Amino acid sequence: MGRGATRRSVLAAAASLPLAAAGCGKGIGALGTPPPPLPDVAIVRDAIDGETFMISRYNAVLTAVPALAGSLRPLVEQHQEHLARLRARLIEPHPSSRPPHPSGAATTPAGPQAPGTPAAAQDYLRLAEQAAASTLLGKITAAPPSLAQLLASIAASEATHALLLTPGRRPG
Amino acid sequence: MSASPSPSAAGAGRAADVAALQGALDAEHAAVYGYGVAGAHLAGARQKEAARDWAAHEAARDTLAAMIIALGAQPVAAAAAYQLPFPVRNGQEAVMLAALLEDRVAAAYLGVVALSAARLRMFGARALQSAALRATSWRGTALAFPGLEVPAPGPVLAGQGTAQPTPGPSTPGGSPPPPPSGPVGG
Repeated sequence: MGRGATRRSVLAAAASLPLAAAGCGKGIGALGTPPPPLPDVAIVRDAIDGETFMISRYNAVLTAVPALAGSLRPLVEQHQEHLARLRARLIEPHPSSRPPHPSGAATTPAGPQAPGTPAAAQDYLRLAEQAAASTLLGKITAAPPSLAQLLASIAASEATHALLLTPGRRPG
Repeated sequence: MSASPSPSAAGAGRAADVAALQGALDAEHAAVYGYGVAGAHLAGARQKEAARDWAAHEAARDTLAAMIIALGAQPVAAAAAYQLPFPVRNGQEAVMLAALLEDRVAAAYLGVVALSAARLRMFGARALQSAALRATSWRGTALAFPGLEVPAPGPVLAGQGTAQPTPGPSTPGGSPPPPPSGPVGG
């Protein structure tokens, strides 16, 4: 517990640096370039962007193929749980002070385009889940231990989503 | 990039590696035993799946034992018998047991993911994912946080427990039950 609180405070401090600097006026010059965020802050932000975009994909599919709502709702709800857990690890600065994310994934103005048939839509989401799981796995060696565990768990969850989206799942 | 860790730090790291791998091995021992019980109550395709998963856990057990020996430690031995979390008397309860075994294996591998060595982290993460996939196959649903949350045993989706109760061998005391019969497919 104590360790978690310490981690959170460190993340919060790192996340608030740009905000503090922005409020300093001339202090910016005196301080020079604010230090870059800790690596795990960047990892959490990437993961948040990934989850946000995944949810937008599901929402696009649910709009295009409402008949899939019954099977997809539980999965999108789990993505919302992922997002909430990730956001809890990061105290965001004011949105206007947040530096733009290089990937731009979360700020894509036009939402994703979903296929219009159930089979194609499920395949679209299955591939997205597989890619997301793979991306998260690629981050765990650079993350601190507890964040690595969270990312590995979310990656595993997304892999199971991909399984559930596979036609005739549980192939031999 | 940095100086080599001190002997005491390296020793502590190795002890942590061994402890996490032993935890995973203990969970694999329990899974091997539990699948023996579950397989005895399954039939048809479900029994084949149990046989495949049972074999996967045996292989994982052997891999973990070799890793622990390579670290200079003695692998934990399997218990003579394991307390089942609930009575297993039919196919539906066998499916519930299989899913729970996988949840517990996933949780054990999460300890490996927390280790410092990148190689061990990836090993743990992949094993966690494999367990989560097997759990989902048995349960028919996904978990939001495999390994982090082990759900209480509960009902599975209708149609998941397709096997009929079988008179199957009772669990022998003193030794793990035999593996489920049927081909062990890859």
